[in-house]
Amino acid sequence: MKRTVAEINQRIKDGDVVVMTAEEVIPFVESEGVERATKEVDVVTTGTFGAMCSSGAFLNFGHAEPPIRMQRVTLNDVPAYTGIAAVDAYLGATELRQDDHGGYGGAHVIEDLVSGRSVRLRAQSNGSDCYPRKDIDTWVSLNSLNQAYLYNPRNAYQNYAAGTNSSERTLFTYMGKLLPRYSNITYSNAGQLSPLLNDPTLRTIGIGTRIFLGGGTGYVAWEGTQFRTNVETRGGVPMGSARNLATIGDMRCMGPEFLRALYLPGYGVSLALGIGVPIPILDEGMMKATAVSDEQLFAPIIDYSVQSRNRRPIKHVSYAELRSGKVELFGKDVRTSSLSSYLKARQIAEVLAQRIERGEFLLTEPVAPLPQDRGMGTLEVRSKEEAV
Amino acid sequence: MAKKKFLLGFSPDIVNEAIVYRLVKDYDLKINILRAEVREMGGRLIMEVEGKAADIKEAARYLTDSRVEVQELVTYVEKNEERCTNCGMCLSICPVEAFTMERPSWKVRFDAERCIACGMCIDACPPGAMKFHL
Repeated sequence: MKRTVAEINQRIKDGDVVVMTAEEVIPFVESEGVERATKEVDVVTTGTFGAMCSSGAFLNFGHAEPPIRMQRVTLNDVPAYTGIAAVDAYLGATELRQDDHGGYGGAHVIEDLVSGRSVRLRAQSNGSDCYPRKDIDTWVSLNSLNQAYLYNPRNAYQNYAAGTNSSERTLFTYMGKLLPRYSNITYSNAGQLSPLLNDPTLRTIGIGTRIFLGGGTGYVAWEGTQFRTNVETRGGVPMGSARNLATIGDMRCMGPEFLRALYLPGYGVSLALGIGVPIPILDEGMMKATAVSDEQLFAPIIDYSVQSRNRRPIKHVSYAELRSGKVELFGKDVRTSSLSSYLKARQIAEVLAQRIERGEFLLTEPVAPLPQDRGMGTLEVRSKEEAV
Repeated sequence: MAKKKFLLGFSPDIVNEAIVYRLVKDYDLKINILRAEVREMGGRLIMEVEGKAADIKEAARYLTDSRVEVQELVTYVEKNEERCTNCGMCLSICPVEAFTMERPSWKVRFDAERCIACGMCIDACPPGAMKFHL
């Protein structure tokens, strides 16, 4: 049994498409078998909602009278990068507000904008003959911006290490608060609902793939930064951070339900973002891949008190164990917490399924595939000559 | 037997009063101090008291007469349901397991009755849904 994306899109237009979420499809495949399920199901929808630090927004403010070439820009006192054209800026999600102890940053500005709130824009310039103005202090909103779109260099990690802490003090990390002496474990992945765990080699996901992004529609723009394929697998699925996506999407169709600023004291600001990817069931291989369950998906547990990039996993545990609320570590039950919301991940997969069923969301074939063989390098302190 | 939680406020001139001792000795109350802060401007004490309802009432009157500010606490940590993303970061942080992940809905439930106002969840909640309500 084989089907193409074009055939699936025809079924969407005809109103005949059969869509299931990556959660619903697990018992379905178990009861019907892969062969029958493949005949039945056209699309499996996935979802994830977690901290995606490597995110940000390109904004175009429009020209002032007289015009300014902005050289320093802040939005609600959060600096944005403006070393691009006159009134363009890139606001990173983790950028912190100036002169602040933290707690508010780029992600909050992005959330304010998609929530319809106005944001204070201040810009300075040295001035030039073509752009005489030297400063501006005004308010902008999503309605007043010419363009406002997220371009996120690294989103939707395929898998991610869980964190714990062997030391004597509480650690404040991007994985949340890690209590001393292995007193908790935090993890951040939607497991069986996670987009890239349902298509582990990215057979159907590539550049140009249409996705659910922050409540609206977005696209896969590129391979995510630190994309790598050379990781240990179990059952053909990576057991640690491997592939990820660079995504792009118009902020105007997003909302705070699936885009939320986060503050992790001691680390900083991050952005929780909802991403959903539809997986076309092209054949039995894809059906089998999307029927993967939390029992078959594994994450390494890393001790974050080891301040080195060469941390070895303490052990690997399944997402079923992580999600059960406790994991056995050195003979003791350790409580677990998730940084990503399973409920939101499920809602994203459901909303995406509805959009497909209603004919509002058509599937895409990748314009180009993402790398099939990619490693990840490190940064060394080296000389100019050694660096070549 | 009744159980209640109180927030007590002390001005500097009464911080030397052995309040907890009196509550135990004179009113036969079982005291569990959940939070205590003493500064130059006075102090603040959050305690859970257990005893006969009438004794608790009498004790509260004694405290008021001793010029201690007494406020009964029904909820002191509040969860903003709209802000909460139901991620569950709070679950492994809370020392008294006041948070539970409901199945199969995957919603985080906060049981204010169990809460001891330690504040551990407040800076552990990434979207900032947990706040002191004092």
